[in-house]
Amino acid sequence: MKGKTKKTLLLLSMVLPGAIWFFLLRYIPMAGIVLAFKEYKVYTKNPGFWNNLLHSKWVGLKNFEFMFSTKDSWVYVRNTLLYNIFWIVLGLVLAVALAVILNEITQKRVAKVYQTFMFFPYFLSWVVASYFVLAFLDPTRGLLTHWQAAGGGEVINWYHEPKYWPVILTICNIWKTTGYSCVLYLAAITGIDGTQYEAAAIDGATKWQQIRYVTLPHLRTMIAILFIMNVGNIVKADFGLFYSVPMNSGSLFSTTGVIDTYVYRTMTATNNIGMSTAAGLLQQLVGFVCIMAANKIVTKIDEDSALF
Amino acid sequence: MKNKKRRINTVSRPAEAVMHLILAAFCLACILPFVFVVIISFSSQDSIREMGFSFTPKSWALDAYTYVVKLGQKLWISYFNSFFITIVGTLCTLLVTGLYAYALYRKDFKFRRFFTFFCFFTMIFGGGLAPTYVICKQFLGLSDSYAAVIIPMLLNPFNIIVMRTFFQSSIPGDLIDAAAIDGSGEYHTLFRIVVPIAKPGIATVGLLSALAYWNEWFIPMLYIRDSKYYPLQYLLQEMQSKVDFLSRNSSVIGAEAAVRASLPSDTLRMALVVLIVIPIAFAYPFFQRYIISGLTIGSVKG
Amino acid sequence: MKKKVLSGILVATMVLSLAACGSEPAGGDSAGSGGASGSTASDGAASGGTSGASGGGDASNLEPVTLKMYFGGCDSVTDDSQTMAAVNAYLQEKINVTLEPIWGSWSSNEYNKFARDGYWVRLDNEGNNLIEKYASDLWSTLPEVLRQGAAIEGADGYGVYAVPGYKDIATQNCWDVNVPLLEKYGYTVEDIRNTDYYGFGEILETVKKGEGDDFYPLLVEGAVLERMVTNSIIVTGDSGTGNFMSYYLDPNDVSKPGSLGVRIENKYATDEFARFAQQTREYFKSGYIDPACANTEQANDIRTQKQLSGQYLIGTQSYSLGYELQASEERKFEVAMVPCTDAYVDTTSSQGAMMAISTVSKNPERAMMFLNLLNTDPKLMTMLNYGVEDVHYNLKDGLVEFTEERGQYQPWTNGMGNVTILPPTVAQGADFWNGFKAYYGQAKEIPLLGYSYNSENMQTQMGNVANVVAEYMLPLCTGAVEPSEKLPEFLEKLDQAGINDVLSDANAQLDAFMKAKGE
Repeated sequence: MKGKTKKTLLLLSMVLPGAIWFFLLRYIPMAGIVLAFKEYKVYTKNPGFWNNLLHSKWVGLKNFEFMFSTKDSWVYVRNTLLYNIFWIVLGLVLAVALAVILNEITQKRVAKVYQTFMFFPYFLSWVVASYFVLAFLDPTRGLLTHWQAAGGGEVINWYHEPKYWPVILTICNIWKTTGYSCVLYLAAITGIDGTQYEAAAIDGATKWQQIRYVTLPHLRTMIAILFIMNVGNIVKADFGLFYSVPMNSGSLFSTTGVIDTYVYRTMTATNNIGMSTAAGLLQQLVGFVCIMAANKIVTKIDEDSALF
Repeated sequence: MKNKKRRINTVSRPAEAVMHLILAAFCLACILPFVFVVIISFSSQDSIREMGFSFTPKSWALDAYTYVVKLGQKLWISYFNSFFITIVGTLCTLLVTGLYAYALYRKDFKFRRFFTFFCFFTMIFGGGLAPTYVICKQFLGLSDSYAAVIIPMLLNPFNIIVMRTFFQSSIPGDLIDAAAIDGSGEYHTLFRIVVPIAKPGIATVGLLSALAYWNEWFIPMLYIRDSKYYPLQYLLQEMQSKVDFLSRNSSVIGAEAAVRASLPSDTLRMALVVLIVIPIAFAYPFFQRYIISGLTIGSVKG
Repeated sequence: MKKKVLSGILVATMVLSLAACGSEPAGGDSAGSGGASGSTASDGAASGGTSGASGGGDASNLEPVTLKMYFGGCDSVTDDSQTMAAVNAYLQEKINVTLEPIWGSWSSNEYNKFARDGYWVRLDNEGNNLIEKYASDLWSTLPEVLRQGAAIEGADGYGVYAVPGYKDIATQNCWDVNVPLLEKYGYTVEDIRNTDYYGFGEILETVKKGEGDDFYPLLVEGAVLERMVTNSIIVTGDSGTGNFMSYYLDPNDVSKPGSLGVRIENKYATDEFARFAQQTREYFKSGYIDPACANTEQANDIRTQKQLSGQYLIGTQSYSLGYELQASEERKFEVAMVPCTDAYVDTTSSQGAMMAISTVSKNPERAMMFLNLLNTDPKLMTMLNYGVEDVHYNLKDGLVEFTEERGQYQPWTNGMGNVTILPPTVAQGADFWNGFKAYYGQAKEIPLLGYSYNSENMQTQMGNVANVVAEYMLPLCTGAVEPSEKLPEFLEKLDQAGINDVLSDANAQLDAFMKAKGE
């Protein structure tokens, strides 16, 4: 009994530094969420953030209205959801596949080189990547434009043709994120006890069977966790990707417009901190619901892999 | 033994060739944009003006780099700051993250569910920038110090959960029980038994947080005024926004613009990327050693 | 990008310091307590008031105070140590103030909105009229139009919430003409002057033919082009929405209302706009406009590049005095500016650079004294703008010639106050400020001057309209899309977004404003 208390205390002491940090830097600031329901004004008698917050007028759900008031906003919601769902699945399959392949490469030196290169896109910001895309698609000087012109075909004005952008954005997203998530899976594969493969091989398992019955089950937990966390971000979009890569071209909004760019443009017009907080809160709430649902589903399938 | 294992257990030659092909193609796609960035950074501004961004510029120039080097000492100080912040920050992050994750990993920890949720909840909900800033600046007094950059970025719930997952998938629970029976204390178990086994996981989280520290410019912008604490990213970010602004608005600002018109804005943007990426790209193999070396050995000993 | 806006909002939210489009001193941590320094400050007011001229103020009976001032547009200040040492030595002697500058970046936040939201101290409060007490000198040097423009409806009633900077206070849009190229094809600047946008076709065609397929003679900023052609002007209060609200001028006499009267219109629904969009589309299809001008993020870069390399014939330019000389020097060929209308003063230009005192300031009195000195004392103004003599610049026959060191210290001059008390630079020439005062002095006021739209009750609609405008405006104004197809779509979406609510709200405010102004 005494040992148990001691163990709990020791473990508590381990959690403590992190818990304090979360409390100070994450929980206290959550009070700021009330901004979503207020019209933020400076309290001239004694200005300061908390005083202003306290004395600002309550406005109910008014700050949320802008997200639902036009047909367009639904297009943005739809785009966000579709891109995210598609990319979660595609990203997962590709990253796991690449990690498995990398693991099977016999020359480990070469594998290392591959892996280093795969990580490079992560270093480049979307703004820089957008210049790379531009080098291909520029309406007068782009490489593709030149090829089209040389081939005698009709030159496409890429930045004004929305129908191509789902593909372009998907390629960009895969390019940027796959190497990164591949590392996580690869590190998880590394943790597999090699004797398991030997045992399987001795039992006559083919490579496929080994992957299927040893590697993948082992990656289960990591896949489940990353899946759950991605689902939590299902109504958030990578702003840089959707804003910089299409060069913020208005004609493309029907396929490149997402919730985050919509909110951003609204903010540049209104500078209203209440509205941006409201949008953020709504995204968080939806994310929370989705994550809880995903966690529930995962728990049903495999309890150990659940987030909590 | 090892040889035998490899012989039995490798994929066939043609299959491996296909795998090489896939990987090489993907890697080419990954590295090409960076090569492109390097080429632009050495292109002359005239060439860009005339033919746009190109893999084969008409003429080359070092303008962008000479412009950066003019920063002189400031540049080297900021390099030092970046290294210092990245190294110290990553170590602190790993320590706090590791401790927290270990406790969450322990199934017999009484408050496990509570603290998991405590951490996870912050991944979803946050108060936003303004209140966080007020707390850091006014309550914690964070400004103009290395701590002012490190502390706001110290933890990331994502990293904690990833680390816990690594522990879960690579360390069998029996091992911990056995250690406990041997009379090993919790700290001893963590540092002597868990850490050595979980090296790939720790290296991964270390890599992710090192990248985060290295690339951050927004937090320094909030909390640092004194240029002697500027990390590289912030210094360069500032320089770039300045050059961008000048090249766009030389007409509005007035008389001094003549000097500014010749600024190497496009090439500079790319040169800055090169300067930022090179050091961290070299640090990458250091982390990778732990991740890939695991692959060759394949087995872990308890 | 997003982070930048967030930081803008953040700064606006809590911080002590935010510039309208200029600067704001925030009395920071003062050494003296509020009460004590308040009383001594008023003792010192006399000396502060005269110091601009005589330099003989007695600062010793003022409590020492540190003022923090946020200067916008000062990204290019990288080393201020020498300057600030000199400035602070001077300031301590004059008004016992230590200035702690915050060299900020660019932001375009509106004076009106921040005054309304209570960020700034009202300067002409009855009972505590800071301007009367500490800054009468400053106030009397300002042109009437600036003083009027500064008085607005704020959190503390109708009054002055910031000191306007005396800089280029008028707006004039011009065609920017590449003269050597024009003359190469046998035309003169007069030919441009004698026609208008709809008459450019022949010239453009000739030059396009002569210069080849890769040459695009018309170099445009979509939004500016539209205003130049339709004679519409920006209405203050809708920044960030692509300025969908328009007021139409009479191009022959800008002080009179245009054909649509004193009303704010949805510019995209006018016949004038439809005609403009149609013409622009034709020019685009004929290859007169570079398609890159239609890409929001690319347009600026392309424009700068083409201007510098002279790869254009006619461009658009929002003009400020002397720009053609500067542009000619910069681009190394002769550039001419052909105005579309006379120069006019509108609300936006009269509030171009405002210096305000934050409501969190503990020493608004001393901040006011400082602003007074900054705007009236040439020595202080010169030091803060141009740096230290013989270090950052040399004086040659009374003209400023910058040295290499100036590269380390280049604040935004126009955001710092009364620029007319600066010594002229060599490039400007000795007579520059006389010409400056004459040019801006004769600029006419538009009927709308002083009006600013308060969109407080229309936030949802403003946000929605901003999104719709971002989608259609630039492609239509540069001819990249077919107006017959896109314009009706655009108008319908604007309707759905609630543009009519905003317009009737704006016009109701305008009527009230004009009525008050008439009285």
